[in-house]
Amino acid sequence: MNVGDATDQDRFAEVFLPHLVDAFRLARWLAGSRADAEDIVQEASLRAFKGIRGFGGGDSRAWALTIVRNTSYSWLAKNRPSAVVLTEDLNQTAHDRVDQSDAMERTPEAALIAKVEAEEIRKAMATLPVPFREVLVLREINGLDYRAIAEIAELPIGTVMSRLARARRKLLDAISGGAP
Amino acid sequence: MTLSKDDELLLNAYLDGELDPLEANRFEARLASEPALAAEIEAYRLLRAALRSDLAEDVPSPDLRRRITSSLDLRAPSRRPAWGALAASFLAGVVLAGSMTLGVLHRQAGDEIAGEVVSAHIRSLMAPAPTDVPSSDHHTVKPWFNGKLAFAPVVPDFGSQGFPLVGARVDVVGLEPAATLVYSRGKHLISLTEIPAGQASVTAARSYEERGFLVRSWSEDGVTYFAVSDAAAEELEAFMKLFQAETARKSQS
Repeated sequence: MNVGDATDQDRFAEVFLPHLVDAFRLARWLAGSRADAEDIVQEASLRAFKGIRGFGGGDSRAWALTIVRNTSYSWLAKNRPSAVVLTEDLNQTAHDRVDQSDAMERTPEAALIAKVEAEEIRKAMATLPVPFREVLVLREINGLDYRAIAEIAELPIGTVMSRLARARRKLLDAISGGAP
Repeated sequence: MTLSKDDELLLNAYLDGELDPLEANRFEARLASEPALAAEIEAYRLLRAALRSDLAEDVPSPDLRRRITSSLDLRAPSRRPAWGALAASFLAGVVLAGSMTLGVLHRQAGDEIAGEVVSAHIRSLMAPAPTDVPSSDHHTVKPWFNGKLAFAPVVPDFGSQGFPLVGARVDVVGLEPAATLVYSRGKHLISLTEIPAGQASVTAARSYEERGFLVRSWSEDGVTYFAVSDAAAEELEAFMKLFQAETARKSQS
């Protein structure tokens, strides 16, 4: 099968390769381990290479990350089927009132987070369900805006907003709850 | 502090630079008058700074790039991994869907501002000097903006990370003065323009090419940043990451 020529390789080098670090970070936080992330990125790069002619210009990073995201989900579906199932209803569920009253008793969060160790943040991240972790990583680690996240994760912008808010809330709660 | 669901979404959107200028101004007024809300956003900023400094450091092994480029060397198809065929079957759908939506959404209002920022960058390259105040000292550059702008821009120096500050100028973007810092990377210059909330309606975190220059933009705490350069995409990316880490650090202190 002769799918490529020098031009495809040039385009791949221009469109996909510059985003390798972003691609790795997204896969890393979706799959959980560095080794799995590298496998996912390598597979995604093959998908990207074969589809390079489908790249119509525009935001190459969003294009690359879309492929990495979809590859990560295929990988998760195969290797961690339970991780991609979301048991909570994200959009319609009103805020958990019990959580809120708990929050009032807490020590100021800022003071706790200032002291929190990298390891605790990693642990707290790992407990987030994948759909929450995904929007948080796309926002904080990949630096994307809501519209780009909505595009990549195939979600309405409103859902991106509520998942991001819930993800941060969960992290703050986990960190404040876990501190002495 | 108990936030209503609406306030929580508002706070998140503000933190992410996703509020329109009017909403952002209103939210800032509330932050100034509601200490509890200000304390809450402080926690979110610390969380962001912690996430970025701890989690964003991860880089793939140097081997990954080599593995990818060698696996895609089509002159030696036998070296292609076995999962190739499987991946190919997923491919058409994934890529087609992705590229179609991206194509439709490509141009948008923020692009006009990006065009102006790129024009200012090009003009600066043609002018006798790319800066109005040539200085690598942020103690010189920062006060130079006093009286020229209605806001105080952040002026970090990344000399030790390979992006020394060269100086600054004032660009006019959307008919309003904007702060532009100039950094060098080898032979390339990077113009970094800061536009505060209320001045121009732009969308955050885009990456595009305009007349051969790469443009990266992002928003944080109501300020939109544009970085323009002809440096390699990876270098501009590295620069952006440094700048974001700096603003995240600043906003928590």
